[in-house]
Amino acid sequence: MASRSTRVRLVVSVVATVVVLAPLAWLWQSSLVGSSYSVMGMGTLDYGGGPVGGHGHGSTDRSITDLAADTARKADVRVDLVAEQQNLAIGGRSIAGYTLNGTSPGPTITAHQGQLIEVHLRNASVKDGITLHWHGYDVPAAMDGVAGVTQDEVPIGGEFTYRFVANQVGTYWYHSHQVSNPQVIGGLFGTLVVLPKTGKSEPVDVIATAHTYEGTKTINGAAGDLRVPADPGQRVRIRVINTDNGPIETWTDTPFRVLAIDGYEVNAPTDLTERSVTVTAGGRADLGITMPSDGRGVRVQVSKGTAVILGAQAPAAPPQPATSLDLLGYGSPTALSFDPATADRRFEYSIGRRPGFVRGLPGLWWSINGHLYPHVPMYVVQEGDIVTMHIDNHSGQVHPMHLHGHHAVVLARNGVAATGSPWWVDSLNVLDDETYDIAFVATNPGIWLDHCHHLKHAADGMVAHLMYEGVTTPYQVGGTAGNRPE
Amino acid sequence: MKTVYRVLAYAIAVMVAVQSAAIGYAVFAQLNWMETGGTLDAAAFDTGAPGTAAMIFHALDAGFILLLALALLVVSFFAKIPHGVRWAVIVLVCTILQIAFGVLSHLTAVMGAVHGAVALALFGVAVMAAMRARKPVVVEETVPATVA
Repeated sequence: MASRSTRVRLVVSVVATVVVLAPLAWLWQSSLVGSSYSVMGMGTLDYGGGPVGGHGHGSTDRSITDLAADTARKADVRVDLVAEQQNLAIGGRSIAGYTLNGTSPGPTITAHQGQLIEVHLRNASVKDGITLHWHGYDVPAAMDGVAGVTQDEVPIGGEFTYRFVANQVGTYWYHSHQVSNPQVIGGLFGTLVVLPKTGKSEPVDVIATAHTYEGTKTINGAAGDLRVPADPGQRVRIRVINTDNGPIETWTDTPFRVLAIDGYEVNAPTDLTERSVTVTAGGRADLGITMPSDGRGVRVQVSKGTAVILGAQAPAAPPQPATSLDLLGYGSPTALSFDPATADRRFEYSIGRRPGFVRGLPGLWWSINGHLYPHVPMYVVQEGDIVTMHIDNHSGQVHPMHLHGHHAVVLARNGVAATGSPWWVDSLNVLDDETYDIAFVATNPGIWLDHCHHLKHAADGMVAHLMYEGVTTPYQVGGTAGNRPE
Repeated sequence: MKTVYRVLAYAIAVMVAVQSAAIGYAVFAQLNWMETGGTLDAAAFDTGAPGTAAMIFHALDAGFILLLALALLVVSFFAKIPHGVRWAVIVLVCTILQIAFGVLSHLTAVMGAVHGAVALALFGVAVMAAMRARKPVVVEETVPATVA
């Protein structure tokens, strides 16, 4: 028979074990999201100080599937895309990846403002299923292409048709939002360019889609430099699109202007020298260059690894400027169509990092407003609300913050007010220890992701949602459809 | 339980050595790649540039070591090893500090130097803990004759 001291020791040991393990077990259990769940029930409702309504219930509910373009209208631009899982030839190597119509990037979709674009997608062989999200394009919610939120993933043999009116001029891109991190890394994306009704505004219009395939830097899917003919004195627009997970710098030693950011034209841009331009992950920058009259070529670096070479001659790589352009004071201000000072809702999006569990896995995870996924905010708005959001990053790393379905204007960074052209973004490079104040008008009803476009970070739980009151979705993350948006 | 304690403690020491090996390989794989024209940036890292897999392993393995250290602490409650709980706590605290230094290194690179040095300390305390759980060695001693 065990002695009294042995029994006491055993009890103490068991109690000590419970003290150590019970909090961990509780944290683990609370991080589980189940095999199938609706994002509508996820997180903590945040009304941003605005009126609290019926959130997702009541007779006025609209299903996200009804928020689509005019179904009776005939398409002006029709594109058929076939997605395949296959090897890609990149820089002399064969790597596993994905194609759309046999290429990566997929075909560039070009439209003129006001046209209705219809894209018919068929999945021929992508095992995990696919969707297409129109990055930066403020499409109707049913067309946003997020698996488990706005549609089910398209399985092998499945089809889906995206329809939206090209109201925004500018440079955009599209990519899968099903298992998005590996699929985008593997090449499941393409470029969307919407020209003004009058056509191209510069005689030479260059698309430079930057992507890294297994460590190899490419432009438009080809390793090495992109050569483009351009005559002396010609005006050139280079549309730099960053499809990677990290920011890139772009620069040249010829005076240039930033014509547009994230598809939106900069008001009264001025010539720049000795400045690089940061293009955040998922972001776009249109650069304007007038070719030198003496016939010299121009080399525009798109990160250190690749370049666009304009003209017949190929100049040496210019050194990277020490300073990146501060868009906060670039160009000239113009009045906004709304007054952010009269905001109906004011949200906080505070990004941190802390130990804990996400989906049952221990680790150091990204937090939003101090909480880990799925206990993240659900920002609730009503249609027509003026909304401000204070973004604060103290997580130790840069995060390219991407709000679906809306463009926001930057009001201030680190408390310093913007003084230049209205700086409209859909993808914002938020460095560690930076704060941003942005504003937008809630004019596009739906349920929208508001997430980090470092897609690995998103897969690790750095995803919140912006939800319009009265909008519901029948789709679920997980479940039999196998929806995995990140 | 003594054996479990000893195995866990040695496993932590071995995993710390594996961590050093992984990061050493990663650094030189990246240097070699850059010397042959590769460009290393966040995108290259995310898309599988040489050395990336070893770095990701390094980060994930840290979590595994933390789990081992927690298991060591729980086992120590039952193992009846003299100062066994104390050494398990030391190993756990050292592991947590080591992970914290690793995270802080992303903010201040100089913390990486501390992170590297503390790895040796963690290795040392894990071995010390394991040695606490050795079976006692029977030493035959000659009993001196009684002195009158």
